[in-house]
Amino acid sequence: MSAVAAKPAAGGAMNPTAMVVGIVMTLVLIGICYMFAPVDSQMMVVSVLIGIIVGGVLIGFGTHFVPVGGAPAAMGQAPGIATGVAMLAAGAGLAGLFGGAWAAEQGMVVAVVTGGVGGGLMMAITCMMVNFVYVFGMGIPSASGKVANDPITGDSQAEFKSQGTEGHGLPFVSFVGGVIGGTLGGAGGTLIYIELLGLYEEMLPNVMQVTPAQVMPIAVSTAGMFAVGLFLVNAVLTAYNITGTIEGPHDPKFSRWPRAIVASACASALCGLVAVLIVVL
Amino acid sequence: MSVKVEVIEGGVPHTTILAAGLVSTLVCLYLTYLNVLTGTQLFSFFGGLAMVAALVWGSHTIKVLCSYGIGTGVPSAGMIAFGSGVIAMLLATKFSILLIPVVALVLAAVIGFILGYVSNNILNMKIPAMVQALTEMAVVGALSLMGFAALITGGFTFAGLTTGSVTFMGMTLQTHQQSFIGGGLIAVAFLLGAIAIQHPFNATLGPGWKQDRMLMLTAECGFLSMIVAAVMSFALINAASALIALIVAIIGWIYTYGQYMEMSKRDAAAWLDSKPIPDVEGH
Repeated sequence: MSAVAAKPAAGGAMNPTAMVVGIVMTLVLIGICYMFAPVDSQMMVVSVLIGIIVGGVLIGFGTHFVPVGGAPAAMGQAPGIATGVAMLAAGAGLAGLFGGAWAAEQGMVVAVVTGGVGGGLMMAITCMMVNFVYVFGMGIPSASGKVANDPITGDSQAEFKSQGTEGHGLPFVSFVGGVIGGTLGGAGGTLIYIELLGLYEEMLPNVMQVTPAQVMPIAVSTAGMFAVGLFLVNAVLTAYNITGTIEGPHDPKFSRWPRAIVASACASALCGLVAVLIVVL
Repeated sequence: MSVKVEVIEGGVPHTTILAAGLVSTLVCLYLTYLNVLTGTQLFSFFGGLAMVAALVWGSHTIKVLCSYGIGTGVPSAGMIAFGSGVIAMLLATKFSILLIPVVALVLAAVIGFILGYVSNNILNMKIPAMVQALTEMAVVGALSLMGFAALITGGFTFAGLTTGSVTFMGMTLQTHQQSFIGGGLIAVAFLLGAIAIQHPFNATLGPGWKQDRMLMLTAECGFLSMIVAAVMSFALINAASALIALIVAIIGWIYTYGQYMEMSKRDAAAWLDSKPIPDVEGH
């Protein structure tokens, strides 16, 4: 069988056994965290891990909204932004993370919202400039290949779609999807960072035998590094789920999101447990 | 099940590269332990060599994985390698110094194995090499970051990575800002490694792919990263030790770069300087 005749690597099918295994593994990892935590702060440590899992799931779910075009988009043969899923998710999430980290001192809600706005803003600017390049640089109109009418504006797409392509440019629904995805990703990344920062600020002074003021650079840097690591793991796993290109929330591939949520929860629980153990052990 | 889109022909088998990379990385990491035994920082450069060895092994793992069309681009493999590696490496630094590399190896292997299961079964990738490749890549990420840590700070204990010292008006003060983790150097090391591991296969893939050329390019990228890391190490270890690391890195880079250029010329087809399409008047 040649590569051309091969079916796409991952279809839309779900593997129920593996999904159950993933959910059970997530719960087991939370249980392990509860067992290792010091007796007087068990609930606090477990709530941190749950916050990390929620953040990871937000990243995994949000990435499905982002219009990813990859190499075909660069040639004007598929709609979306012309780069890979992992790069776009990491870009949106890290932009949000930096925005949220700046507001970390003003409480969790403000920081998470700021992170979401940062990620959404980054995606909005990216989508707009991408469309500028497509329309004025490459001279192609925006048209979706997956739906007949834009689900939001109702504009028909088929007249603008070139033959032999899957659509091109960045239709309005993809733009909106990109902003939603960036917002969810940025909020998720910030949530992971804030949870870890709070934990490290509280526990590291005892572990390292130093004052809370001295521990700040270590806490910020370690929490930031773990947040980046967790972000990249979640982004790449979501990229594996999407395999290639996605147009946004109207794409048939969007229906694969339940798999990504279980996978992100499982991976975030695993990596979050390791991040928590560094102060608990 | 997906189909291999690229064939490995000839060359050293992957298991040999795996074994050689793992052993030489661990040996080089343990050689930095000479710093503790002799009370100097002169042996920090072994950390850089460990990093280069791990990267060479890792780039071949990426080749094995990305031979199956995973549809997400080669760079994502480097990102997940270091994303899962940094998590394992940071926890491992908490253990006693003789155990750290082994603990990092085991921990990263466990994380990588579970991530491989998640992508292969829950996400339904069904790629035969997935579980083994993600396991190897997490280990590569953890060990090469540990190599960076040893190169820049002279050791890889959690206390050593988070504590530095500044001399202020003749007094030596303990500080946490001037350190590998507290100063954010770990973020630079992270991307230096992640780019060095994903670039070689991304640059050499295609019908003309040759194993020795790709591995030599990896070594070249590794030494290039080592030069940057050695320059950063002037901030944290004494100048003589940092200078040794810098000289080793520059010599390594010049040698591997020369070799890579020779292999590129060997593999290149005939080359013709075809001028740009001429502008014809009157059109």
